[in-house]
Amino acid sequence: MTDPIDFLLYADAVAKRYPDGDVRALNGVTLGVRPGEYVAITGPSGCGKSTLLNVLGVLDLPDAGEVYFKGEPLSKCRALDTFRARQIGFVFQSFFLMPTLTARENVQVPMFEGPLSGRAERAKKANDLLELVGMGHRAGHRPKQLSVGERQRVALARALANDPPLLLADEPTGNLDSANAAKVLDLFSQLQKARGLALIVVTHSDEVAARADRVIRMRDGQIVADAAPATTTARTISG
Amino acid sequence: MTFVAFIFKNLTQRPIRTALTVLGLSVAVGSMVALMGIAKSFRAAQAASFEERAVDLVTLRGGDAIQLTSEVPEWVVHEVGKWPEVKAIDAALVDMTEMQIREPRNADDVPPSKPVIVQAWLPVNFGFGDMDVLEGRKLEAKDEGKYYTMIGNEFAKSVNKKVGDTVTISQKKFEVVGVFRTSNFTERGGVLTLLKDYQELSGRKGVVTGFSIRVNKTTSDPDAEVEAVRQRIMALTNDKGDSLRLTPQRPDQYLDNASHLKITAAMAWMVSAIAMLIGVISMLNTMAMSVLERTQEIGILRAIGWPRLRVVQMVIGEALLLALVAAVFGGAGAVAATHLMSLFPQVSTLIEPGIAPSVILYGTGFALLIGLLGGAWPAYRASRLLPTEALRHD
Repeated sequence: MTDPIDFLLYADAVAKRYPDGDVRALNGVTLGVRPGEYVAITGPSGCGKSTLLNVLGVLDLPDAGEVYFKGEPLSKCRALDTFRARQIGFVFQSFFLMPTLTARENVQVPMFEGPLSGRAERAKKANDLLELVGMGHRAGHRPKQLSVGERQRVALARALANDPPLLLADEPTGNLDSANAAKVLDLFSQLQKARGLALIVVTHSDEVAARADRVIRMRDGQIVADAAPATTTARTISG
Repeated sequence: MTFVAFIFKNLTQRPIRTALTVLGLSVAVGSMVALMGIAKSFRAAQAASFEERAVDLVTLRGGDAIQLTSEVPEWVVHEVGKWPEVKAIDAALVDMTEMQIREPRNADDVPPSKPVIVQAWLPVNFGFGDMDVLEGRKLEAKDEGKYYTMIGNEFAKSVNKKVGDTVTISQKKFEVVGVFRTSNFTERGGVLTLLKDYQELSGRKGVVTGFSIRVNKTTSDPDAEVEAVRQRIMALTNDKGDSLRLTPQRPDQYLDNASHLKITAAMAWMVSAIAMLIGVISMLNTMAMSVLERTQEIGILRAIGWPRLRVVQMVIGEALLLALVAAVFGGAGAVAATHLMSLFPQVSTLIEPGIAPSVILYGTGFALLIGLLGGAWPAYRASRLLPTEALRHD
């Protein structure tokens, strides 16, 4: 029997139905992600990928089932905001950087809920993270002064602000050209290896999925395949 | 980056809206501060005057709505002045009347006029001893019947008069024999005549509007001595045995009960309440718009782990920062406004330039309250945003 304690993140038969319709966005999804694992979630539009990502990232709560983090059920967690701030990094397709803040300041925004209490500490950490994603030289620039690829790298640095063990990304290369997409994916790979970061990426892109350790294919709110990239189609799960 | 710096930068996102909101709030706060300041300066001027003159009791006729309508028989002043427990007495007929700015050019010409406060004093008033004579001399008993006047230095400046000139008050020409300064700006901004002359001119013979006394304190319980004199004045009757209805009060009590001060304060409060309402609505509108426009941004903050309380702090912080800036500009504007108004002859003698620090502090508190009230609902709305819905918002 599968034990949630074996995984960094474990979703056990989670279901989600939206109140404005009968659509079951998630229908009994069970999924485990180990530390340092790179998981891509793919599938057609409306199959429940983003809903699953939201539930895994505690942005939304499941109607049924349970999500465990390091074996602890998150339904019992009283400070989900703090949990999210410290344990999960988010990267979005549209970057969502604060327009009035510089790259350095944007990276510091999650740190208000993190362990660093000093202004200087936060600034240094932000600089280090920007260096890590190759944006150190652009730390003082505002988002509109950056290219889309640079913005996504700043957003990635922001996601790492509180050193989370898990990174969730929703179409992280959706707005990027292939060169910039490749840079971001390279960064993901580096971070996964260097920091032991677990990555869950929702994507339509075959390139993104090809770099993952596992590719989960969804349809109609269910996982229909869960395998290494090359074998996804071969190990389709029925029902 | 500090959280305050983050809040400040948020306000720079819509600089024109921020500037207009600050401007609107500054006007609201400034008008409140200016009015409260003027009301307070009225009271402070009178309090300072009482203190400087060591006044123990101020007596008016009971039941009069304003000091200007009080009528106390003059004989009472002379009677009380003879009491051994009264050290000194100071009686005045105070009036607000019109002063002609210039002479009529022809028979049909009605020259413009400005309001002026007239203090008509007995020549023995102890108030004469406390004034600085800047030019000319003081009024004396021998001047009675000559319609001489001393003018306050602020009044002299506002109408450009000096010793030897004449001023036309209630259509009567008075010759200026002196220019004086006292701690009371209503005196500095007005004219001083002898009681007999002004009683004659105003048709109020044998009447004063009130009197102040210094009590002769000889025991270890001066309060009891003052109280004894107060009781004695209250017991005064006319020759028919009817009460004179005099209300002697300690200066503090007088200032608390003075109708003209109460009316000024009430007007200031009323304007403050209106300013507060306008300010809160303005702030509410600004912050509600700001939250609506930043729905997605707030959703991101919630998604990356900001708790509801942090979002509330952010929105309230923005509202408070706007209010604080408005308080600075409003306070500075109010001080500037009183200085500016004191340059206009029409009102210069009624307004003392400058605002008491306590009023500025009050104005700051008032502005912060506007920020708090105006920011509360938008902050609540922002904190209730669900990250998933906010992220879908476009």
